[in-house]
Amino acid sequence: MKDEHITNMLDNTPLALLGESELAAIRAHAGACPECRRAFEAAQVSGLLLRERAAETFEPSPFFQTRVLAALRERRAATETSALRRLWQATGALVSSMAVTVAALAFLTFISPSHQPPTVQQQLASATDSYSAEAVIFDQDNVPAGQMSYGQVLTTLYDDNTGR
Amino acid sequence: MAHDARDGDEDAFAEIVRRYSPRVFRFASRFFRQRSLVEEAAQEVFLKAFTQLGSYEGRGSMEGWLTRITTNTCLNILRSAKRRPELTVSDLTEDENTWLDSKLADVATERHQSHERSIVAADLAARVLETMSPDDQLVLTMIDGEDAPVKEVAAVTGWSESKVKVQAFRARRKMREAVEKLLGKRKSQDKNLESAR
Repeated sequence: MKDEHITNMLDNTPLALLGESELAAIRAHAGACPECRRAFEAAQVSGLLLRERAAETFEPSPFFQTRVLAALRERRAATETSALRRLWQATGALVSSMAVTVAALAFLTFISPSHQPPTVQQQLASATDSYSAEAVIFDQDNVPAGQMSYGQVLTTLYDDNTGR
Repeated sequence: MAHDARDGDEDAFAEIVRRYSPRVFRFASRFFRQRSLVEEAAQEVFLKAFTQLGSYEGRGSMEGWLTRITTNTCLNILRSAKRRPELTVSDLTEDENTWLDSKLADVATERHQSHERSIVAADLAARVLETMSPDDQLVLTMIDGEDAPVKEVAAVTGWSESKVKVQAFRARRKMREAVEKLLGKRKSQDKNLESAR
């Protein structure tokens, strides 16, 4: 024991809990080993410091209970307010999203140009573009200069046949 | 009482605060040296306890349950605070230097200390502890400062007994080395002063 360093022993157990025989062994070694003597002194001072620190305690003030209850009420009120605020925000978000949807649908239904009913002019324009039987018959008189109408073509053909 | 408090009965909760606040204060005093900090921590403990009353099943004692909440709350507060760097001799006050000198002189003789010297010692202890982790501070204050058994530390922290022992061993070594460094530097300063004279 005298030749063994004692630092592990010092760190393993608080000095106050060491037995007489263990303390005697520590003292014997510390007397011969300067390094362990310093460690032993430091361990003694550490123990004293910690005891002084542990002896310091506080007692609650007479108003502590009131203070805790006030803090509890405050926290509860804050929680309720934030819950209401969250609910209000969620409702607001729902209402605004619904309003946006309704507005978008109204725009698509009534205002968007792609869904307007065709005007009379558009109807006529689309009618002239096509090659329907009516268009052919109605447009016989509007033949451009230099071209024969269908009527003239037919008359010429029939005249030729009867002339034979 | 816990059942009534859980159902929102404020009077029952007030009774819990009245009955257990001395214990919570004593326990929080291990972590903080300012009364305002101890009171803040204790208040936080009771507010947490109120919200967690649903998890208290009444199997263990209310005191043990509250002590565990106190430990966790105080450790969390300390963990969120910035730890101080290593303490050096130049950081010590004159009173702390004098205390260390006197301790070196009569470390073997158990001389009774005056109240003022106890305060200086507690200040110095707090300053050394502040350089250590909150877990180290807890085990040292409880085991070495109050002679609390390892089993009790394990109960309040939720650690295994072997973890408490290992933590205490390492913390004790750190504390001893920090104090040894302070004492060594004090001695060398004194030698320098003597040779200068």
